[in-house]
Amino acid sequence: MTEEKLQALRQADHNLRDALRMDEAELPQMPANLNERLMQRMATQEEKKPRRTVWPWIAAACVAGVMMIWLTPPKDPVSSPAPLRAEREVATPKTEKAVVEVAEAEQPQIAEVKKVKKAAVKHRKQQPKTVEPETLPAEVVTSVVEEPKQQLAQTTTKVKMQTLTEHDIPITRPENYKYTPEELAQLRKQANEAYLKWVELELEISKNNLQQTAQK
Amino acid sequence: MTETDINLIQGLREQSPKAQRTALERYGNDVFAQVARMLPAAEDAEEVYQDVFVKVFRNIGKYDAEKASLRTWISHIAYNEAVTWLRHKRQAVIYFEDREGRAEQLSDAEVEETLGHPNSETVQLIRAALKHLPPDERAIVTMFYYEEMSLKEIAFVTGSLPTTIASKLSRTRKKICKIIKMLQS
Repeated sequence: MTEEKLQALRQADHNLRDALRMDEAELPQMPANLNERLMQRMATQEEKKPRRTVWPWIAAACVAGVMMIWLTPPKDPVSSPAPLRAEREVATPKTEKAVVEVAEAEQPQIAEVKKVKKAAVKHRKQQPKTVEPETLPAEVVTSVVEEPKQQLAQTTTKVKMQTLTEHDIPITRPENYKYTPEELAQLRKQANEAYLKWVELELEISKNNLQQTAQK
Repeated sequence: MTETDINLIQGLREQSPKAQRTALERYGNDVFAQVARMLPAAEDAEEVYQDVFVKVFRNIGKYDAEKASLRTWISHIAYNEAVTWLRHKRQAVIYFEDREGRAEQLSDAEVEETLGHPNSETVQLIRAALKHLPPDERAIVTMFYYEEMSLKEIAFVTGSLPTTIASKLSRTRKKICKIIKMLQS
């Protein structure tokens, strides 16, 4: 039924309109204080309402924390050798300084060590190890820093002894290895190859995507 | 939309008690009547009336002046609140349900004669027949004939389409006639 026809019927249906008018007149009247009661209810609800809801913020912070833990990449010693080297460089002078201090303070002990070599092995953990230069293997002794070496030379001129540094101790942990130039070159080559392969893979994926979109 | 309406909406959005009182004075009676005609008791109407305006004041930010007038928007909330109340309370009220489609068999001329020709006896019969209509149909008839709302406005209030409202009105007219005939017989 169209709206025009219904409009005409609205005017024509006298009996229905009269009946509705009578019904409306008999409806219960709105209490005079109903609006006041409503305003009071609004006021009490406003007082009860908490000022600020905190739980969504707490939940968001927790989610962000979990996401950070999840998304932070693990530390890779091979891909980031620079910080390790820096740490080693920072750590080395400290130990050497300590060795020098010990050497200055305990010169008589070093002299004793010259006589009895096995005794130094016993006190390995507490005191710096001292060995005659002839007994040390060549590749272990090479990496002593210059400045502490001079200081050591001053202190050990009389006894002709050389104090072992951290570098002289045989490397047992893989992360303490220093890469040789050949190894470094190989690592770079492998990284380059991996990068090229990744680029090729990306290209293939994009080609496939283009083909799929073209087919659609 | 008049300037006073714009100021009223602005005040309601700012949760101003003065604007809230003005809205209650302006639309309160109509809302109470709308709710009271759908619900069985005056106490229920009072409860739902309060819920309606609490909702209006809280959700005034969602009101879109381009979709409907403030009055129609408040009527929409009132209609929904009343329907929800009826659904939850599950009041045992018996309505006339024309399952066999007998009302549809009545001719237009017959319906027009019953509803159109002024007759006080028929008016009383129509009043009795209206009590047998389901609340939503009765609300639509009242909105159309008494409040003289357009089909578009009624559709907004009830959340349906104007064409659906038109067919519902047509069906309800015939249903009233059928009830009258049943009462007479």
